[in-house]
Amino acid sequence: MILLLQYTIIFASVLMLVALGGCFSERSGVINIGLEGTMVIGALGGALVMKYLPVSAGAFAMVALTVLASALLGMLFSLFLAVAAISFKADQTIIGTAMNMLATAGATVAVKAMNTIASGGNDVSSDIAYTHTKDLFIVRLGEFEFNWFMLIAFVCLIISYVALYKTRFGLRLRSCGEHPQASASVGINVFKMRYAGVLISGLLAGLGGIVYITAGVSVWKFEYGVAGFGFLAMAVMIFGAWHPLRIALAALLFGFLRALGNVYSGFDFMLALNIPGVVYNMLPYIISLVVLAFTSKKSRAPKAAGLIYDKGSR
Amino acid sequence: MKKEKTPLIRQDGFQTLLSSLVCVLGGLIIGYIVLLLIEPSGAFGAITAIMKSFFRYPGKMMLKYFGQTLVRTVPLLMCSLSVLFAYKVGMFNIGVAGQYVAGACGCLYAALAWKLPWLPCLLIGMVAAGLLGAISGLLKTKCNVNVVISGIMLNWITLYLTNLILGKVKSPNSPYTLELRGNNPGALLPRMGLDKLFNNEKSVTIAIPLAVIIAVAIWFVLNKTKFGYELKATGHNYHAARYAGMKENWNIIVTMFIAGALAGLGAGMLFLTGIENWETTTSSVPAMGFNGIAVAFLGGLSPIGSILSSFFIQYITFGGGNVDLQVYSSQISSLISSLIIYLCAFVGFFKFFIQGRIRKKDEKLAAGAAEKREGGDAK
Amino acid sequence: MNSTPYAIEMLNITKRFPGIVANDNVTIQLKHGEIHALLGENGAGKSTLMSVLFGMYQAEEGVIKKNGEVVKINSPNDANDLGIGMVHQHFKMVECFSVLDNIILGVEDTKYGFLQRDKAREKVMALSERYGLKVDPDAIIEDISVGMQQRTEILKMLYRDNEILIFDEPTAVLTPQEIEELLQIMRNLAAEGKSILFITHKLNEIMAVADRCSVLRKGKYMGTVDVKDCDRAQLSRMMVGRDVEFAVQKDPAKPTDVVLEVKDLCMASKRGKRNSVNGVSFQVRAGEIVCIAGIEGNGQSELVYGITGLEDVLSGSVTFCGQDITNAPIRKRSLMGMSHIPEDRHKHGLVLDYTLEDNMVLQRYFEPEFTTKSGILRRGNIRTYAEQLIEQFDVRSGQGPITMTRSMSGGNQQRAIISREIGRDPKLLIAVQPTRGIDVGAIEYIHKQIVAQRDAGKAVLLVSLELDEVMTVSDRILVMYEGEIVGELDPKTSTVEELGLYMAGAKKEGAQ
Repeated sequence: MILLLQYTIIFASVLMLVALGGCFSERSGVINIGLEGTMVIGALGGALVMKYLPVSAGAFAMVALTVLASALLGMLFSLFLAVAAISFKADQTIIGTAMNMLATAGATVAVKAMNTIASGGNDVSSDIAYTHTKDLFIVRLGEFEFNWFMLIAFVCLIISYVALYKTRFGLRLRSCGEHPQASASVGINVFKMRYAGVLISGLLAGLGGIVYITAGVSVWKFEYGVAGFGFLAMAVMIFGAWHPLRIALAALLFGFLRALGNVYSGFDFMLALNIPGVVYNMLPYIISLVVLAFTSKKSRAPKAAGLIYDKGSR
Repeated sequence: MKKEKTPLIRQDGFQTLLSSLVCVLGGLIIGYIVLLLIEPSGAFGAITAIMKSFFRYPGKMMLKYFGQTLVRTVPLLMCSLSVLFAYKVGMFNIGVAGQYVAGACGCLYAALAWKLPWLPCLLIGMVAAGLLGAISGLLKTKCNVNVVISGIMLNWITLYLTNLILGKVKSPNSPYTLELRGNNPGALLPRMGLDKLFNNEKSVTIAIPLAVIIAVAIWFVLNKTKFGYELKATGHNYHAARYAGMKENWNIIVTMFIAGALAGLGAGMLFLTGIENWETTTSSVPAMGFNGIAVAFLGGLSPIGSILSSFFIQYITFGGGNVDLQVYSSQISSLISSLIIYLCAFVGFFKFFIQGRIRKKDEKLAAGAAEKREGGDAK
Repeated sequence: MNSTPYAIEMLNITKRFPGIVANDNVTIQLKHGEIHALLGENGAGKSTLMSVLFGMYQAEEGVIKKNGEVVKINSPNDANDLGIGMVHQHFKMVECFSVLDNIILGVEDTKYGFLQRDKAREKVMALSERYGLKVDPDAIIEDISVGMQQRTEILKMLYRDNEILIFDEPTAVLTPQEIEELLQIMRNLAAEGKSILFITHKLNEIMAVADRCSVLRKGKYMGTVDVKDCDRAQLSRMMVGRDVEFAVQKDPAKPTDVVLEVKDLCMASKRGKRNSVNGVSFQVRAGEIVCIAGIEGNGQSELVYGITGLEDVLSGSVTFCGQDITNAPIRKRSLMGMSHIPEDRHKHGLVLDYTLEDNMVLQRYFEPEFTTKSGILRRGNIRTYAEQLIEQFDVRSGQGPITMTRSMSGGNQQRAIISREIGRDPKLLIAVQPTRGIDVGAIEYIHKQIVAQRDAGKAVLLVSLELDEVMTVSDRILVMYEGEIVGELDPKTSTVEELGLYMAGAKKEGAQ
């Protein structure tokens, strides 16, 4: 039971971080389908720090540097979207699709190259192991393994909510996603706000990436990407109606379902139900689709999300 | 009306071709730089290996690999046709990946569980994928669900469902589905002697000519028929299509069905050659569908362009397997193709740039002419 | 005091767009505390000029002076810093934000980055009381009336302490009472020392509030006059360049059979609980032009959607040539002989990315003349048919039938639609604001075509917002107010003033 709780919270943290990222981007008016890819790149950054930073650096330095590396790489990678979609007015769907492919292929090529060089050609895998450093992230509270990432995710949630609804930055950001022409007419730099939105989404998604790959295992094969968690986070964002607090609830629900898929075999009564594990994996997507079917007539999506902003149009 | 010949650079088709070539070149150059970063000494050899693809092998082997490349080009072409067909009615069919999976699921299950011959298998795969596409269309027209979002959700639902269903016909000691050749050879697509042309490569089947025929048919439907006229009108302006009394919602659903069916057919045309089996532990949606998006845009959203671009992408993908795996990884070609798609998103900008240059030139000419005229008119 | 009487001067402004000169050497001088009208037809360059002043475009030539000093305005921020504010024709507001958030957006007071909404609310309420601009600061924009939205826009300017206020066609969307209220607000503002630029093409509003008036025609500056020294005719001559012939030559109507009968029609509303059309009944006979008059947003658009089938009706019936078509598909109505010149030519009327010829057969492409039995288009026939219509109706375009419709001028796009709809030889022609955004020459042409259709024995249903059009073209006028028909008038025996009273809802037939 504790295991279920632990998995639920850690998966929910991942989904929440990435969905909040998507929320910032869409609220500024850019649809970020590349969340999945951004997670991969963020995960790569964090994993490298965890692999190469010695355990002796201590827990604080380890956590801080890992988080920093993931967030930074995630932001850098999201520039791919920002530059193309905002400055060059490229189609956001194509860009996002390309980013997802680019991230997995790029990360695989990079990790394989590193492994090949380090091993003199004996190891051509795309694995990064961080077995011993992983423990620095965990504080054991009885049977429950508290992970520092859980706290980070919670803090990000609070900051996101306050930033979006209580600050000047948030008000301006949201206006750009709803009616960029109106924002421009009161002197807001729409391009700058959208860059900010996309970069924040990169930061959060990158962070989500490292949390995801350290959630259950201590070796990650980068050929696998992040197995659809970026897309699941999009579902969380939609289910959460682009609002941080609702996103948190949606993340808990979907995280719970994911966790069930991982640990259901540990419960006798669940085994007795004889539901295949994939059903738990499928459920979040089905739920979001059903919810979408009922709510899309009056969608709460930012009105200008996905639309190219052109100074000339009025 | 006098017909004047438009200069090449002003033709839309030529501009598209030029833009696509720039994308390809850009992708290759960046790919080369990556190779240089990993290990400079072998980089040139590696990029040549990718570019030479199957041509680096001697005669008979080359034919065999050429055949295999064509076999894998077929599903890619079909997926890109699916994407571009849906795009014409204004739908971004990101669900093509899931439709492809549904097609694989349908045809393999029909072949392995029900032991049906190839044609029914192919049709079942098509219909399964078509229905999936139609669901997206239905959700769009009835509930106003964004097609991209519903497509993404359906991709994953379909993937998990397929793993579940095909798990019933998997081989007992591997995660892969049973071999068609051993279990139901009747479900293999007929070869009609085509394999002889490719050094007896058994996977070369009628799928290859069929795919080309379908591409041409799609071109014909879009450009020459009433149906194509309606579809494009719906895509360009949904409200005007409604105003004109077209069944705009029905058109969207039908188009999405056809788009899905094309992707499903593509899956059938690969899996029913026996060259590949489905891995029932697949944890992410196959790249085939997403590559189809790339190919469609690289081909300038034209069916004929897609034939060329799908072959090119498959060509360098095969080439990627030729690099020295002790130094580089075969994913370098995926990297190159994803870079190409990324650059494809700039095609609009690039064309805009060319047109801008042309317009500036025109304006200069026009301004010059106007000045002359005004000078003449002055009293 | 200021050494110059002018708050803002725009001197010799020239602004070009690819292909056109939107402003050609235009000069406007706005005095302190005056209401200065900027008059011109649609497309005369008024909005472009104001966008230059507001920093959204940069002029190629000319200078802008404030209080006699040259200033550079490169963005709305610069304009705001100079105290210039603008109420845009299409309100620039975030629909899902509150009134207060919209007012403070861009000039938020913050403390450590946090919004200080309470302080802002106090200031807004104070301004609202001082100028009589009633708003609810916490209401969401999409829930409030157009009038309150406009007051919010005005408060936006006042909140920024703007001294120079630009109103871009502010009365187009208002009811007569709201217009009167707005004009009074403008007078108050001017009395408080604000300088106002008032963009409009409505002469009576200028006569009512403006001190001076500058006129633009086709991008060129026509001069500035003192309003008290001139009359409407003089202004309109300056605006259009010649005496406008308001009267359309036509014989009395000879109505025959009923072609269209609408009975107790109700249409649901997209916003609010009231039906947008509520129990409307009327008939249109062959050989007459029936005009639906009214102020924008009183249910005319929805009434047409109901008759043409673009939207489902709530209740009631529509009968066309004796057949009940209440729930018939659009295609059937079209085949029965209903033609529709839609209100929004870009949304409904044309596929802008299709060629002109493909647009010409938009409702006929499937007929045997244009498509073979096996579903293949007969391109040759489409070309011939399009060329016929183009010649007959003088539709001008760059490359004839193969011109992309998007590249055509608005007037010619409208001509294309009219030629297509009339070319179908309909029994009923529904024309919704057929002259909106069209230059004067084309307006006359369109009116003649409509009358010609009537004389050919067709039934015509005209929906118009322009009083002149209503009075001159129609044979019978039905006035719509808040979704209901409140009166029927004969244009020959009634006056514009009478019509205005009905449109404003001040008079109602049953209540007489």
